[in-house]
Parts: sequence; C-alpha cells; structure tokens
Amino acid sequence: MKKITVFATALFTFSNLLLAACGNANISTTTTNNSSTKGVSAAIPIGIAVSQTSNVALLGQEEVAGAKIAEKYFNTRGGVNGTPIKLVFQDAGGDENSAINAFQTLINKDKVVGIVGPTLSQQAFSADPIADRAQVPVIGPSNTAKGIPEIGDYVARVSAPVSVVAPNAVKAAIQKNPRLKKVAVFYAQNDAFSKSETEIFQKTVRDLGLDLITVQKFQTTDTDFQAQATNALNLKPDLIIISGLAADGGNLIRQLRELGYKGIIIGGNGLNTANVFKVCKALCDGVMIAQAYSPEHPGEINRSFRQAYLQQYKTEPPQFSAQTFTAVQVFVEALKSLDKKTKISTLPLKQLRIQLNKELLAGKYDTPLGEIAFTPEGEVIQKEFYVAQIKMQPNGNDGKFAFLK
Amino acid sequence: MNISLILQQFLNGLSIGSVYAIFALGYTLVYSILGIINLAHGAIFTLGAYFTYALMGGRFGFNGLLANAALAVQLPFALALIVGSILAGLVGVVVERIAFLPLRQRGSDPLLTVVSSLGVAVVIVNLIQYLVGAESYTYPENTYGNLPPAINFGSADNPIPIRTVQVVIFIVSAVFVAILTYFINNTKHGKAMQAIAEDATTASLLGINCDRAIVFTFFISSFLAGVAGSLVASSVSIAGPYFGIAFGLRGLAVIVLGGLGSIPGAVLGGLFIGVVEAFVPAQYSGYKDAVAFGILFIILLVRPQGLLGRRLIQKV
Repeated sequence: MKKITVFATALFTFSNLLLAACGNANISTTTTNNSSTKGVSAAIPIGIAVSQTSNVALLGQEEVAGAKIAEKYFNTRGGVNGTPIKLVFQDAGGDENSAINAFQTLINKDKVVGIVGPTLSQQAFSADPIADRAQVPVIGPSNTAKGIPEIGDYVARVSAPVSVVAPNAVKAAIQKNPRLKKVAVFYAQNDAFSKSETEIFQKTVRDLGLDLITVQKFQTTDTDFQAQATNALNLKPDLIIISGLAADGGNLIRQLRELGYKGIIIGGNGLNTANVFKVCKALCDGVMIAQAYSPEHPGEINRSFRQAYLQQYKTEPPQFSAQTFTAVQVFVEALKSLDKKTKISTLPLKQLRIQLNKELLAGKYDTPLGEIAFTPEGEVIQKEFYVAQIKMQPNGNDGKFAFLK
Repeated sequence: MNISLILQQFLNGLSIGSVYAIFALGYTLVYSILGIINLAHGAIFTLGAYFTYALMGGRFGFNGLLANAALAVQLPFALALIVGSILAGLVGVVVERIAFLPLRQRGSDPLLTVVSSLGVAVVIVNLIQYLVGAESYTYPENTYGNLPPAINFGSADNPIPIRTVQVVIFIVSAVFVAILTYFINNTKHGKAMQAIAEDATTASLLGINCDRAIVFTFFISSFLAGVAGSLVASSVSIAGPYFGIAFGLRGLAVIVLGGLGSIPGAVLGGLFIGVVEAFVPAQYSGYKDAVAFGILFIILLVRPQGLLGRRLIQKV
C-alpha cells in the first residue's frame, strides 16, 4: 500500500514537473546586455516578451537574435535622439500563462514604454488584452492569425496576416505544375494559427478551381504521421499543403516522402524557419513556403541587418528575426519622432505610452521587410511578398530558402 | 478502415510499443531493487538521444553554449547507439551517487528520493537547453546505411508501406529485451540483482555487495533509456530538451499496467499501450494519452496488481 502511495505522489509530482516545464514564467530572464548604454536609468526600456523556453523557443530564439541586433544597430546610431534604448527580455514560454506573466512583469515591474511579443498568435489572444487595458503599445513580431490587431487600440503587428501571404504559395505551385488538380491539406488542430491558416489555404484551393480531396488533422505534439500520410497518399494528390510548426511539419514532410510521395509540398508560415531543415534534412528539398521577408531585399537597412546577422550567427536571417528587428525599429523611430514634438524625458510614463501608440500607428517605416505602415487598427500594410523553395545540400546537413521570382 | 491500414497500424504500434517496453524496463529494474520510481529516467532518455547524435558527428545549432560544436568522430549509427547509451548509463550512475545515495544512507522516506530524482530531471533538461539550445536535431541521412526508406509488407497492388525505421526499432528493442532477460536469469550479476530485489538485507548477509548491485542497476536502467531515446530520435528527430517528458509519463503507465517490478509485465504493457495508441484514429491523436490512461484505469480496477503483477512478485 505504501508503495502505491509513493507512486501516486510520484505521478502527481511528475505532472507538476510538466506544468513547471511548460510555464517557466517565474524564472526571470531579464538581461541587460548592452555595452553602449551609459546609465541604465537614462536608457529607454522596451520589453521583448518572446518564447525563450518550451518547444516554442525554436521560434523565439530567432526573435531574440533579431531583437539583439536591432538594439545594437540603433544604439550605435544614436538611439532615440541621443538617448539609448535598452531591451528588457522576459520569457513568454510556450503557453498563454507564461506570456501573460511576462507581459505583466514588463508593464508593472520593468516599466517599459512598449512591448514586442508574444511569439504565438495563440498567446497573443490572452496576453495582448492585458497590455491593452494598461494602455501599453504592443507590436506582434510573428502573430499572423486573423483578428490580432482587433484585440485593442494598443495592439499592432508587423507580421502580415496569413490571408495575404499564404495564397502566393499556391499560385507559385500552379506555375510550377500547371496540370495539378488534386490537393490534400494537413493542419495542426491544436494550434490557433495553423487552424486559421488552413482555412485560408482551403479557400484559396477552391477559389483557384482545384479539387480539395482530403483534409487531415494532427497535433503539433505528434511525431508519427503514417496514418494520415497513408490516408492522403491513397487518394493520389498532386499537391500537399501543410499548416503546422517546425518539428511536427518537418516530420510530416519526411514521412510523406519516405512513404513515396513525389508531388509538390507547400508549407505554411509555421514551417518558415531554418529549423525545419534539421528535421527533414535532404527530404525538405523542394518544399515551397510563402514569405513576408527575403534576405535579398535590396533596401539599405536590410543590407546592414543581413550583414550583422551573417556576421554574428553565420546564417541568413530568417523571417522571424527580420520581423522582430522591424518591431524594435518601429518603436525606436516612433519614439524619435515623438521626442521631436515633446521631449519624452518630460512625459510621465502613462502619457508616454499613450502618445507613443498614436505616433507609431501614424508613421511610415523603411524596414528590412520593405516599406511598411499601419492601418488605424494596427494591421501592417506591407507591399512585397515572396515565395521561396527549400534547397538542401545533397548530404542534408544544411539548406537555404531560394527565392522564386 | 481497411485491412491493410489495420495491419499497418498494428505494425506501427508494435514498433513504438517495443520502445516503450525497453524504456519501462529501466523504471522496473530500479523499482525492483530500491522500491522507488526514478523520475529522471525521461531526462536520461533525452540525454541518450543527444549523445548518440553528437557521436554520429552531428553539429549543434547556434543557440546555446556549444554553438556550432561538433565532435571530430563520426561513428556509424550502431556504434554511436551503444557508446551513447553507455554514456547515458554512466550519467545514470552519477545521478544515483548524487541524488539517491545520500538519502538512502540517511534512511530517508522513499518519497524524498522521488522528489530528488525529479530535481535531477529538471536540471538535466535545462542543462541541455543551456548547452545546445532548443532546436530539433535529426540524425544524418545515412543512419540506416542503404536501406530503402520504406518496406512494403503488402503486394504491389495493395501496398502496406512501413517505414524501415520502425522495423529496425522493433528488431533492436527485441534484441535488447532478450539480452537483458538472459542477463538477469543466467548470470551471477543478474542473480545478485534478483536476490536483492527479493530481500536486500538477506542478500547482503549472504555476501552480495548491495551497493555495487545498485550502481549496476542504475547503469543498466539508464543504458536502456539511452537506447530508447536514440531509437525514437532516429525515427522522429530529437524535438528539443523536453522530448523525453511524454515518454516519462508513458513509461509510468506501462509499468503500472504490466505490474510494478515485473519484467515480462513491462514488455507486455509496452507493446499493449503502443498498439492501442496506434489504433486511435489519426485525427484524434490528441486523445492518445487519454485512451492509454483510460485503459490503464480500467485494468487497474479489475486487476489492481497490473497485468502480470502478483501479490508476491518475483522481482527482476
């Protein structure tokens, strides 16, 4: 009997470990790695609440990298009219609670002027309302689901919504194979973003007159997709479209190819990261993904950003890094133009946040993503989109996104 | 669901079930000897997968302390699997020395040891992320040499394709179960472990070195976790430092289902849960855990001692 009690307690403690593992919010990961900041009190704090732990850290790590490059870039160019900025990092974990905690700490303890984050749309729907109620401007670096800017007046995003980006990939696939007809769609049903993305993909498929032969569902935590893959492949599709995240999507691509699928595969935005290469290796080759960013964009600021990124991380900057850089840039430039009107050092924090929000929505920005602006709701207005195809080295160890014209 | 799909899912279930089995055997061995559950077992599983990856010459990503690091060696999978699992086994021994031994010497309540092992799990998982980041890692392309990516178990008209990885996993797991069974029943060390499981005090009176047997048990247990981790990673990649948590829970279900402390029970429980999970329709994959634990619940209502557990279990 005693053993059973011990066991029951063990199971209970273990499930607590699970919770702890998912919600590392109590662990403060504030970093103030800033060499160019002279006095901490003088620097303007901007919050970065992205996923530094959990399985979403895969994406969050890229965002941290983009933010750090932005901090250095703008501070070496005089910060906000001579005052440096200071990025305050709080881990938004992989779930809603961690994101909420990170937001609250940034707003109340770190007293930031605005927040860049969170990583997932799923998290944004619960964390953004908190910032909105506190009247703190938020810029989403990677939230692409429907309805994000509509959360509130203080919520904007630099990540173009999936409804604008996704259809480009399907059109590019038709260009590659004009005879394609039968389309199979896969999506992760436990992820808000993937669900919203698959609706756009399915609508696009129907609008373009293709046959949607099957819709297969999975979970982002799944690793075995043989059942879904076999079900779909029995119907002989010419095109497969996947909305999921990097690890699950990569495994699905691998298993589809191993089970003999030869046609075109389109990946959604969740697969838009070099982390997919590590999962499906050589089998990733040829997967097409619509992009909101191209490292080859000719603008001056993108050249500097790309160069700094290559120098530091020895790899091309991914979209999430570019978008986070852009989000920081929007804050810096809006602070600059606000400062010219009213000295921001004279404004109380509450006023500063409110004014900053107005200012940033009104501005136009020349960013690594190209020229962007915002609608009054905070939706990004972006002009250029791209479709890239994954090109892997034959040994499968490294690859890149090759941009299609 | 047609017949070929049923057969395919059954084979898939056997494959993943065989991994559950060797993973759960590790839990069972430690439980038999010490009467506790080692909750660091899932973390060791993860660690074994990373060791094997590194030994195959895999390079780590740019996040974490060991950014872009890679070992100079490039072992073939079979060798990397063995060496990686031995390393995992050694880590298991270190864990025993640090987290279990001091408490045992003090005669603490077994529950404290369980909590202590939980602490070790948290440390290992976070250490992995600190060192090599949270990225996924996949074993090199040529992991299985020149074997085709899938094997057709059906005919040309009615194919039942099974990924080669799944077949390899099943065979390797079966071999390890056979070796372990032989070892426990036919060698001096194995018999010593059985004696300690039966009654530690009597065994030590008869001249068996309990301390050494415990260290040895931890080694074998963690070695098996390392094998399981590497096999799963060769099929579906290392999903990150949290990769072993789900297996940790599944393993607990397996040993309770099979009967605590019973080796055939762990094997049977593993295969059973693997096959049951495989038959959860794909679109409801989120309910796999619910089905596995639901069945566990029902079986425990009918047979509280588990499938092969007995009142007086012949442990190990």
